[in-house]
Amino acid sequence: MSSKTDAAELPHGVVELSGALGQAARGLAVRLLAEGAVGAVFTLRRTAADRRYCAALISDPALLEEASPFHPVMPVQGARVLSGFLGTGSPDRRIAAFLRPCELRAFVENVKQHKGGFDDLLVISCRCAGVLPASRLADDDGERLLADYMREAASGGLPGGIRDACARCVDTIPTAGADMILSETVGPAERSTMLHLMTDRAVDAARLLSLRSTAGTSRGPVTTAGPEDPRRRNREALLASGPEPGRGLGSLVEAFASCIGCRACREACPLCHCILCDYETERTRWSPGLVRDLAESRGALRVPAGTIQFHLGRLVHISPVCVSCGQCSEVCPAGIPVSDLFARASAHVQASLRYVPGADPDGAPPLATYVERELEDLTD
Amino acid sequence: MSPIMPAFPAHSGVLELAGAALAAGAVRGVLVPMRAPGGSRAWSLVTDPAMLDRADPLPPAMTVHGSRALASFARSPEGGTLLAILRPCEARAAVELARLGQIDLANVILMTMDCPGSVPLDTHRADREAAPDPADPSTLRSLCAQCQAFAGEGDLCATGPSGSLHALTAGGRAFLEKLGIEPADGPPPMERYAVLAAERGRRAAEDRILLRSEYGGLAGLVRLFSGCIGCRTCRTVCPICYCRLCFIDMKDRRTPAEELLARSGRNGAVRLPPDTLLFHVGRMAHMSLSCVSCGLCEDACPADIPVGRMMSMVSEGTTGLFGYRAGSAPGEPLPLNTFLKDELHEFED
Repeated sequence: MSSKTDAAELPHGVVELSGALGQAARGLAVRLLAEGAVGAVFTLRRTAADRRYCAALISDPALLEEASPFHPVMPVQGARVLSGFLGTGSPDRRIAAFLRPCELRAFVENVKQHKGGFDDLLVISCRCAGVLPASRLADDDGERLLADYMREAASGGLPGGIRDACARCVDTIPTAGADMILSETVGPAERSTMLHLMTDRAVDAARLLSLRSTAGTSRGPVTTAGPEDPRRRNREALLASGPEPGRGLGSLVEAFASCIGCRACREACPLCHCILCDYETERTRWSPGLVRDLAESRGALRVPAGTIQFHLGRLVHISPVCVSCGQCSEVCPAGIPVSDLFARASAHVQASLRYVPGADPDGAPPLATYVERELEDLTD
Repeated sequence: MSPIMPAFPAHSGVLELAGAALAAGAVRGVLVPMRAPGGSRAWSLVTDPAMLDRADPLPPAMTVHGSRALASFARSPEGGTLLAILRPCEARAAVELARLGQIDLANVILMTMDCPGSVPLDTHRADREAAPDPADPSTLRSLCAQCQAFAGEGDLCATGPSGSLHALTAGGRAFLEKLGIEPADGPPPMERYAVLAAERGRRAAEDRILLRSEYGGLAGLVRLFSGCIGCRTCRTVCPICYCRLCFIDMKDRRTPAEELLARSGRNGAVRLPPDTLLFHVGRMAHMSLSCVSCGLCEDACPADIPVGRMMSMVSEGTTGLFGYRAGSAPGEPLPLNTFLKDELHEFED
């Protein structure tokens, strides 16, 4: 059963929870687990390393007291981890899954590829202000950065130091797949967070917890970045930048000149889930003979060969469904802004395919659908 | 007396040699880093001597291990003789990869130069020309600051302030003969680097005491890898890890969701993705004997885990068990591929 919602859909009910987003989320998680509404919680928790976090499946409410749902960091993309987990079997209990909007969008796409499903989940998402890069958070000035972030997020602003992908994200609320959406109230008053109940499943869980819609709370939809939001301007600026027509290949070569072929971008991407990547197979392997011949005819050849082949291949495979989470840029050891490239390419590809990743859990993946008249904007 | 440092590689001499070898047809290709757009360096297989003016042997940063670049196309010996200009650790790893069936060294001449070390990738990104100073560990990657094997490897080596050329193998000597070049007399005089090597050795020993006390035992290892995000970058940049489908990714080896939920129930929580330690300890078990302590794993780690120092320490232990040195005795089998009836008694009850 899908929990299809869209931005304009009204929640079934709205509950006011006390505390900022993280606190309210943690409190909700503890109650869901303690009252038996769910059997486990998928969320972030601290690790033994200073200010480093990991994803976890938590069954003990006492341990959940120390968890960090919606902490502004994304060491791993939630959809990658969740799809990986659900891809190996079916849970025997309901799991509350805390997912940021981009993680949920990616998960929706993965479900279409049979990497997971919604049946055993209670999906809790949020209005997202972005995440800080994990290494910045773990830095000496990480605490200060975090405090600044919390302050800015509470006033509805654009926090400094967040991922580039986050600073230009206009999909700050989930539009499909969420049972519950948490959104921190904006303003100087005492911190509170609204819990929007989007599905019957959410209403049932709230009833179990004796949560009541608070009188006087607005039943309006959660809203995403408005027209004046700097995120929109940042996104427009990114889409307007980029190579001139005809300079695409040259600019790719320049962009990936410092690529070390570590494949971290692929390993981090929630949508890249092939057990054996196309670019590790015999089919795409550059034979010694081919390398030697090309080196001969050109005078020199970069090795290992196939740097652009890999990235172009990934662009082709992923751009129809890229959710612009920015995980790729964050993990790149060479500091290549991979996410920028993917965001630009994806905007064009998704517009041509008229496809919005994550918006329609019941729809077919874009390349799996035959339509006789399409892509006319690409023909001469 | 101040210790003698490995000199900056005598680029012009080495590139002259490479150009002459190409022009004379003594080699069909030269593997050497070249300057790339934006100032980084990329390994290239060069066949036209004119392209060598963009070459930069032993650049300030080691971004891709030279042995991995070599292995990407030299699994079989076709295409004529090849000259590879490498750091000593890259040559050692090439010898290991040949042992592991990933490179055919039959037509490859491994040439090394004294290595002053590599700056960290982050430094290189900020300043493409920032140079390593072998006398100043703060400019070097952590494993470079501990490295004692920075000179005198391969078939031939250019060593010392004057870049004198020494043939270390019959293959190296034959190659030089073909070019009509007389190598320097005798083996390279390594004693001039004794002071630096001793200082590096002291630093390595101290670091290992620190690592053992900080991260020794199972609980320590768990803490060491607690920031690990499972990106597998350490594995992919490692010159020795050549498997295209790693054991940890095999479909049938993945822990089923039911088992993970059971673990969560038993312990109160289970970390996802699972099996962080299994991956790292498994990698240790698989590559430790061939580890050349190049440190790329640590340099590329997005979570700042000192994985290179740990791998290097473990490798010292495992190779020590067999009296083995990674990169030595080309052509000899790995210790694990050699059956000896009488060994490892210290592990018997």
